[in-house]
Amino acid sequence: MIPSQNKIFCWQGYLYFFVLGGRLKVGFSHRPGLDRGFWEARGARSFELLSPQLNLGVAHFLVKNIYSRGLDQRLSPHQLKCRLEALGRRFGLSFYFQPADPPLPSPPEEELKLVREILSGRLLFLEEVERALEENGIKIGSSLPDLLHYLYLQGECELWPAVAFNDQGLPFCQRCGGREKLFKARCGACGSQFCYVCEDCLELGEARSCRALYARAEWKRNLKQYIRPHFLFPLHPAQREAYERVAEFVTQGREPRCLVWAVCGAGKTEVACGAIAAALSQGREVLYASPRREVVKEIYPRLKEAFPGIRIAALHGETSLKFPPAELVVATVHQVLRFYQRFDLVILDEVDAFPLTGDSRLYYALERCRRAYGQVLYLTATPPPKLVIEARRNTLPVVYLPARYHGYPLPEPELFVLRNFKAQGRLPFPLQKFFQLSLVADRAQVMVFVPTVELVQDTVSWLRSFFGAEGEKCVQGCYAASPEREEVLTSFRRGAFPVLVTTTVMERGVTLPRLNVLVLFADHRHVFDENTLIQLAGRAGRSSEYPRARVGFVARKISPEMAKALETIRWFNCMAREKGYLKSYI
Amino acid sequence: MGRCSFCVRWSYGGILCPNCAGALEAWKKEFRVCLLCGRLMSKDISLELCPRCLEEKPPFRLARAVGPYRGLLKDVILEFKYKGRRSLYKPLGYLLAQVVAAEPLFGKPHVIIPVPLARERLKQRAFNQAELLAREVGRLLGLKVVEHILLKERDTTPQAGLSRKERWANLKDIFTLEAPSLIKGQDVLLVDDVLTTGATATACTIVLLQAGARSVSVATLATGVF
Repeated sequence: MIPSQNKIFCWQGYLYFFVLGGRLKVGFSHRPGLDRGFWEARGARSFELLSPQLNLGVAHFLVKNIYSRGLDQRLSPHQLKCRLEALGRRFGLSFYFQPADPPLPSPPEEELKLVREILSGRLLFLEEVERALEENGIKIGSSLPDLLHYLYLQGECELWPAVAFNDQGLPFCQRCGGREKLFKARCGACGSQFCYVCEDCLELGEARSCRALYARAEWKRNLKQYIRPHFLFPLHPAQREAYERVAEFVTQGREPRCLVWAVCGAGKTEVACGAIAAALSQGREVLYASPRREVVKEIYPRLKEAFPGIRIAALHGETSLKFPPAELVVATVHQVLRFYQRFDLVILDEVDAFPLTGDSRLYYALERCRRAYGQVLYLTATPPPKLVIEARRNTLPVVYLPARYHGYPLPEPELFVLRNFKAQGRLPFPLQKFFQLSLVADRAQVMVFVPTVELVQDTVSWLRSFFGAEGEKCVQGCYAASPEREEVLTSFRRGAFPVLVTTTVMERGVTLPRLNVLVLFADHRHVFDENTLIQLAGRAGRSSEYPRARVGFVARKISPEMAKALETIRWFNCMAREKGYLKSYI
Repeated sequence: MGRCSFCVRWSYGGILCPNCAGALEAWKKEFRVCLLCGRLMSKDISLELCPRCLEEKPPFRLARAVGPYRGLLKDVILEFKYKGRRSLYKPLGYLLAQVVAAEPLFGKPHVIIPVPLARERLKQRAFNQAELLAREVGRLLGLKVVEHILLKERDTTPQAGLSRKERWANLKDIFTLEAPSLIKGQDVLLVDDVLTTGATATACTIVLLQAGARSVSVATLATGVF
């Protein structure tokens, strides 16, 4: 009987042991009769159960540790029981023998095969397996927990507690790798005091010690076929070179990782298509992971257009289908937690962005979703320091994309050193000039970035005072949590007003044809690090309509971050010029 | 300096940042509290009791809540109760303890009892939010918490979404008490997450009073608004 969708399967079971080929073996099961039937069919004897019932986390810990410390074949059942009690002392356990359940027949082979296929390349809760079966129109009559457990016995899948205990008995989440936000209280489902809940990955469902995760690596390979992406526009020479190099990285398969270090607005997605096409041609599966849902929504149709004959799935918090079959998956990083040794190529877009930065859990998930010899391609305009160091040491191959698709150089930020500029009672001359040139001469819009939410309204009021009666119509503000954020952004995109004051929430994903950027308090080092300043500057000059945009950094003094950001932008312009990728403005 | 328990932003003192603390208190400008059941009424209504209590007084002595079931408080309760973010019991328990400590009419209860979940619902949710709250309130106020004596015999349709009449019918003869000697002659503080119609609190109170409790008062995180 398949469990109802509304019920969560709580794994509670027993330890058991038996003798097979003269060797003592220990196992755990929620339905010991199934294991007895399995092992006795293979010649096992002396099958015995140990009470009490345990949750999966505790059972798994005991069995893992009894094997890792060496299971002496000469142990008697009583001695084995004592060994387990010694291991289980931290959980306050004492065991007693109980009669074993009668052996049960094996589940139907056809149903085992169906479940095995649906689980391939994934790491799922039972309810997720159920959902995957339903989404793919597969009906089974046997108990799903029994089918999955039988696959585990056959060695066709792995069975893990969602929150397990390491060798020292400390809990950790096997789904997201988290070790910090683990909550312990008596569990109403399994009744155990030693049932931990991981609060780090709650958005994907509750990971607890009494919930089982079933994992199976993807074994099959797709057929090889020639694949060539279809682009609406021809690639710029800089893109073409990078495209060829990433395709070579995948085709040769020698390097495990590669970094595509591209300037903002360079057209990284088209370059990534080179790697995707090379992998798909070899019958491999590809994951394109991004930290932001908006990017997944934007990239998915572009990839569908580029690869019309390929099954592509988009996965993020709002997608209803979570388990579609696909050779190319575009997903937010959180959705990647459900994959297990599935992909030959993992492309990480904006690898420096939240939630990847400093979040080891998501790196853990990205490593786990890759096959054993799978490759990783990082895409970013602002690689994190760790990758930069590896690139400088030549331990990480780098493909540079130093020019934008339109062939004009990146706007270089102008640094304005202004002390107490808000207290002067008038707009300082450099800023007057900046706004006049932007709004009047260039007829462009201006995004003004400030470091904190509190400064947004303050700066809006300050700027409005210089626009006279039109102030309120000309200057608006928004930040991540502001209720009217979407409305203000939509109006700004439409060109309803020229000046938007905002925080770094808008540092990525904004593309407007005629846009200049002004960063106030740019020496606020906690918020405006080098990479953030480069991303902010990268909002300007992205379109061929207005490539010569203006960028200004305003600060009391030039911080090292401001200087490094300017240096990096100049370095890319220089590289692009040397390679002949740049047009002149004349 | 630490992180706000609700929005996770850095704040200088207390468990909540000034924004979240302000959001939780904002209702006080708009509403007044029914002196009996603690539900909120517009300040335009000059009565001391709400229309429901005027019509029929509830069996509990009084009830109070942290605030109305809306806005930030509602979001946090949903995160706590339905998403299972159990660690929120600490800041929420703190807020609840503050409400009890600040209301002199609560006096000093002898014992705290959480509203129970039926066995099936407890297995499904894996935790009882009222229990976690009750333990934290008991710890902060130095009061004894008695669990697993007030029992819910069977699972009922979740109260959320039912009309007032349907809620009353849903809870008929649902709660029982084991070991009544533990609460005989005692002032009991009943703790739950949300009080809407008061049907659950009333059903529990009746059982406790029939078992010999001297009085029952109710503390919840959120309450309804007239």
